[in-house]
Amino acid sequence: MINVDRLIFEYPNLRALDEVSFHIPQGSITALVGPNGAGKTTLLRCMAALEQPVSGDIRINNIDVLEHPRECHRIIGYLSDFFGLYDRLTVRQCLHYVARAQGIAEEDCAAAIARVSKGLHITDRLDVLAGTLSRGLRQRVAIAQAIIHSPRVVLLDEPASGLDPEARHELAELFLELQQQGMTLLVSSHILAELEAYSTDMLVLREGKIIEQVTIKAHAHAQDFKLVLASPVENLAALLQQIDKIKLLKNEYNQTVLLQVQGDSLQQHELLKNLLAQNLPVCEFAKITSNLQDTYLETIRHRS
Amino acid sequence: MNLNPEFQRQLQLEFSQARLIGVPLILGVIFALTYIIDDYQFASVTTRSALGLFLLMVSFWGARQAVDSVLEEQRSHTWDTQRLSALNPWTMILGKLLGSTLVVWYGGAICLIIYAISAPNANNFMWVCSYAITSGLLVQNLSLLLSLCALRKGQINSNSIIIGLAILAAFTIGSFIMPLSEDRQNIQNAVDVSWYGLNTSVQSLSLVSVFLALFWCVVGNYRLMAQELRIRTLPWVWLSFALFLILYIGGFIPAEKFGDYFYTVAFSICLTLSYFAVFTEHHEPMRIKRLFTYVAAENWWRSAEELPLWCVTFVLAILVAIPLSFTHPADIEELHIYPLTILLLLLRDIGIFLFFNYGKNPQRAFSLTLLSLILLYGVFPSIFTAAKLKGMVVLFFPLISDSTILSIFCMSLQSALIWYLLYKRWLESV
Repeated sequence: MINVDRLIFEYPNLRALDEVSFHIPQGSITALVGPNGAGKTTLLRCMAALEQPVSGDIRINNIDVLEHPRECHRIIGYLSDFFGLYDRLTVRQCLHYVARAQGIAEEDCAAAIARVSKGLHITDRLDVLAGTLSRGLRQRVAIAQAIIHSPRVVLLDEPASGLDPEARHELAELFLELQQQGMTLLVSSHILAELEAYSTDMLVLREGKIIEQVTIKAHAHAQDFKLVLASPVENLAALLQQIDKIKLLKNEYNQTVLLQVQGDSLQQHELLKNLLAQNLPVCEFAKITSNLQDTYLETIRHRS
Repeated sequence: MNLNPEFQRQLQLEFSQARLIGVPLILGVIFALTYIIDDYQFASVTTRSALGLFLLMVSFWGARQAVDSVLEEQRSHTWDTQRLSALNPWTMILGKLLGSTLVVWYGGAICLIIYAISAPNANNFMWVCSYAITSGLLVQNLSLLLSLCALRKGQINSNSIIIGLAILAAFTIGSFIMPLSEDRQNIQNAVDVSWYGLNTSVQSLSLVSVFLALFWCVVGNYRLMAQELRIRTLPWVWLSFALFLILYIGGFIPAEKFGDYFYTVAFSICLTLSYFAVFTEHHEPMRIKRLFTYVAAENWWRSAEELPLWCVTFVLAILVAIPLSFTHPADIEELHIYPLTILLLLLRDIGIFLFFNYGKNPQRAFSLTLLSLILLYGVFPSIFTAAKLKGMVVLFFPLISDSTILSIFCMSLQSALIWYLLYKRWLESV
């Protein structure tokens, strides 16, 4: 869906993006993470054809963004980190304007407004002036504006900043809903916990370079487990390797091991039964919820 | 009805109910006062007030509205939404211009109605209206053009400068229109002017000229808006404008002196436009880097897109300089017209401006360049003239030298030095 190849963007005396290359599959929600000044906003702005890089190639849905920026504008929705609303217009008027500006016919505007306002829980605020809304509500209206034309790709720069936990949860649900509708989302954020709820992939950007691209939720059937024994067992590794559908990842003193287990919860139950049948003194068998934060920090640790 | 969305939004913002009622109410009070001053009739005071108010409204208020329709978007961070929309440049330009200023024209229409009622001679009405309306449109378009230039340069708080210029324009237009409104004789006794042998009145030619200026302003607005919307453009409009200006102004040269002066006029226009382009365009070092990258890749189309506009008129100036050199243009008092030396002077001045532009404070580039040029053109030559060191004066102002070779040598030296420093600074900033 999105292909970026050797993208270079420079500010005076600073290479903001240094030969950035990556691929984002259709229907994914990719978290774009990295420290401040890593180049996240610049990358998103280049992808939205708002900035012109020195060289490189960006293709979104097979459209060459640098050659045909206006065609790219038709299929993307973009929420900038410093978004603005027309404060003297009502929410309905704001949404109506963006809908019309995005080419939605007058007769279809009401339905489009109803659809996005329902998704973002702002139906009861449609006749309120945008300038009187709280930051969280403004954020929702801005997201509604970005997706009102049902774009194929949505680029969101820090969409959850300033939102309360409840609103963040609703936002996560909305993103999953947009994903189900076939949209591809690229979301940059500092708050990794918030990305956890919906991201399928993660791009780590540091000092203008992509240092890691990982798939987070592709192998839903393979899970990491921690097995702790009450006392060390001499031939633990050999014993575990005899069992089907598990992979030994790490062994600490023949007492604590990390395992990758294939299969659903029923098969996990069978595995536990098997372990107990082998007379292993199991005192802990628990799923490891590897979160985005861990993955990110691990990536940063490996690279530094 | 599928209204232009930008026009509709501007109407929602600017054409409020309060303004719909307030504008005629305030104007009504003012005209009631002039009615009383005119001895309970609509006479000269009302006529002048109606026309004056019209000009003030369409120029001052209209310019403010036009400027805000662009710069306010950037200030309130809504510009990206507009840039990413499906609106085309025409829709944006028309929506912004007509939508934001409709309330102004609403007030202006009331003023013109009062003018029509009170004007002593109705014969001039169409003339005055045509001048007033086209001039008002020109001021508003020019304001929008300047605000788009300011937006590109990141100078989003330039409202006061642009509106100041609009007021100046209003006074200029007023000084031209007011006499017309008062006396029919002003049109009947109009002086004839010849344009490429075509004899016409100053008034008619002025009106046509304002129309043409309006046309080019609209084209300029379209191009700048297209660039903002990331529509790729080649600089052919700038080239066309330069050629148009050469042909238009060339028409005023008397037929018997056409051969002597045409190239001088064309050359002067190219120089002026080059200065204008370099001072108004946004210069970022990365643009030049992109240009070099495209040239290295032999991507000529892209290279032309990145080419600064001053280069276009500079190349045109070089082309005009060739025949000009053969016509041996007459000296202006002590100044000799050496085309190559003048081109090198232009190159030096552009180099100075770009040098400051690529520095740490590009916002000060214009004032620093102005200061440098005052020193180079005025202060240093004056000091050396006072000290009776003519050789040194020639170094800074080579057009007074009797030797073409010496003048070219002096300017080549300066230009080479400035462009070397500029290149070093550019390298540091990319």
